[in-house]
Amino acid sequence: MTKQRAGLYTALTLLAVLFLIPMIWGVSSAFKARSDIFEYPPRLFPAEPTLENFRAILDGQPFWSWLLVSTLVALVSTAVAVFLCCLAGFGFAKYQFRFKNALFDVLISSLAVPFAVIIVPLFILLAVTGTLNVWFALIVPWVAPAFGIFMMRQYVEQSVPDELLHAARIDGAGEFRIFLSVVLPLLRPAVGALAVWNFLNSYNSFLWPLIVVSDPDQYTLPLGLQALFGAEGRQYDLVLAGSVLAAIPSLIVFFVLRKQLLDGLTAGAVK
Amino acid sequence: MSTVSAQPSWWRRNEVRLAPYLFIGPFYVLYALFMIIPIGAGVYLSFTDWAGLGAPQWIGLENYRYLLQDNSFWTSLGNTVFYMSFTMLVVLPASLLLASALNARGLKLRDTFRIIFFVPVVISPIVVALVFGLIFDGQFGLMNALLQAVFGFGGIEWTTDPLWARVVVVVLVLWRWTGYLTIFFLAGLQNVPRELYEAAALDGAGAVRSFLSVTLPALRPVTAFIGVTVLVSTAQIFEEPFLLTQGGPGESTLSIAMFIYRAAFQRQELGYAAAAGVLMFAAVFTIGRIALRLFQVGRNA
Repeated sequence: MTKQRAGLYTALTLLAVLFLIPMIWGVSSAFKARSDIFEYPPRLFPAEPTLENFRAILDGQPFWSWLLVSTLVALVSTAVAVFLCCLAGFGFAKYQFRFKNALFDVLISSLAVPFAVIIVPLFILLAVTGTLNVWFALIVPWVAPAFGIFMMRQYVEQSVPDELLHAARIDGAGEFRIFLSVVLPLLRPAVGALAVWNFLNSYNSFLWPLIVVSDPDQYTLPLGLQALFGAEGRQYDLVLAGSVLAAIPSLIVFFVLRKQLLDGLTAGAVK
Repeated sequence: MSTVSAQPSWWRRNEVRLAPYLFIGPFYVLYALFMIIPIGAGVYLSFTDWAGLGAPQWIGLENYRYLLQDNSFWTSLGNTVFYMSFTMLVVLPASLLLASALNARGLKLRDTFRIIFFVPVVISPIVVALVFGLIFDGQFGLMNALLQAVFGFGGIEWTTDPLWARVVVVVLVLWRWTGYLTIFFLAGLQNVPRELYEAAALDGAGAVRSFLSVTLPALRPVTAFIGVTVLVSTAQIFEEPFLLTQGGPGESTLSIAMFIYRAAFQRQELGYAAAAGVLMFAAVFTIGRIALRLFQVGRNA
C-alpha cells in the first residue's frame, strides 16, 4: 500500500468516526441516569448503565401511540406514492402525447416551489373545507412527489424495452394491464429506493405535522418527542431514550434496503 | 381475422393515445389542489389582514410595506442567505471532495464508508437536534470538554452566543447533508469512463488539470440536479434552527421559514405570513427556474 493510500484510509476513517460520534453519544447518553447525562467531564460510556429511561418513556408516555401514528402514515403514504410515481413515470417515459413537454416542465418546476410558501394557505384551506383531519392532511397532499416521478421516469427509460410493450399490445393487453404485469415487475429495484426515500421523508417529517396536528392523542413520534422535550424543563433522559427507540425503525428500513436506496436514488440524477 | 367481430370499442381504439393522461393525471390533480390553489390563496391572503376569524380584510400592499420595514424579516432573510451560501460554498464542495476520495480506484470498504456518511440523513431531525444540543451544551457539553482536554480552553457559549449559534446550526447542516450529497456525486463520478482519465494522463495532465477538464464537465448534470435541490431546500430551512436554537439567541439563527411559521402560528398574523411566503416563493422559484433551465435538468441530451 502506498503512502498516499494510507493517508486516504486514515482520513476517511477519521471522518467516519466524526460522523458516528453524535450517534454513539446519543445512544450512550440514553443509558445514563438523569444526573449522569450532564456529568462533567462527560464520559463516553455510562458508569452505571441503566434502562430506567426506556422504562419511563414506555410506561409513562404514549410512546406506542406516537410510533403507531408515524408508522401508519408513513406506510400508507409510501404505498400510494410508489404506485402513483411508477404510473406517472411510465406515462412520461413510454408514451408520446400532446403537451408532454409542457406538462413535464410543470412537474420539474414544482421542485422549485418552496414548501414554506404553501403551508399557511394550505393549512387554512384544509381548516376551511373541514378536511383538517390528521390522516388526510398528513397523507393525501404528499402522495405524488415530483422527485419520485422524475426518478421513475429515468428508470423506466433505462430498463423497460419497447419491444416488450409492443409484444404485450399484440397479445391484446390493455395499457393499464401492461403497466401492472409487464412494467411494474421490472421496476423492483427502483421501487425499493423510492419506497425507503418516501418512508423516511414521511416518518421523519416535522414541520407539516407540527402545523396540522393539535391533538396530543394524534401526535407523531417527532411531535411527541418535541412536546416532551419542550415541557417541564428539558427532560433529556426521557427524550434521549425515546429518540433511540424512534430511530430504530428508520435505521432498520435503511439497512435492509440500503443498496437499492443508494443506487436507485442517484440513477435519475447522473444522466 | 374474423369478420364477425364487432368494431373495437371506442376506448380500445383510443387507449394508447389517452392512457398516458390517466397515468400522469393524479400528480396534476394533487398539484392543482395542494400547490396551485394554496399559492393562489396565499397571494390573496397577502393583501389582507386576517387573524383566522371572520372575513379577511383587504389592505392592499400594506403587508408588503410592513415587511420591508420589519427588522426581523431582514434578519431572517440575511440568515437564510447565510445558510444558502454555506451549503453551496461548503457542503457542496465538501461532498464532491468526499465523493472523489471514495471514488479512488480499488478502495476497500467503499460501501461501508458510503453508508456511514449517509446515515445522518436517515435519522429524524428532532433526534439529531437533541443530540447536538447535548454535545454543544455551553456548560456540560462534550464539545467544550474536548476543547478543554486538547487545547486547554473550553467554555464557549455555543448556543447562547449569536455567532457560535450560527456555527452550530451550520455544523449540524454539514453533518446531516454531506453524506447524502456525496452519494449523488459518487454515482456521477462512477459514470465517468476511466479511459478519459487515461487519455488526459497521456496528454500530460496532472491531477488538478484532469479534475478540471475531465471530472467537472462530466459531473455537470448531477451537479445541476443537486445544486437546484439543495438551493431550494436550504432556502426553506426550518428544522435545524427551530429545534436546535429556536431561532435564537435573539433572532440570530432565525430563518425565513421560521419567520413565516412564527407570524402565522404563534402570532396569528396570517396575511402577514402569507406575504412573506409570496416574497419567498417569488425569489426561490425564480432562482430555481433559472438554474433548472440553465442546467437543463430533466432534458435528455
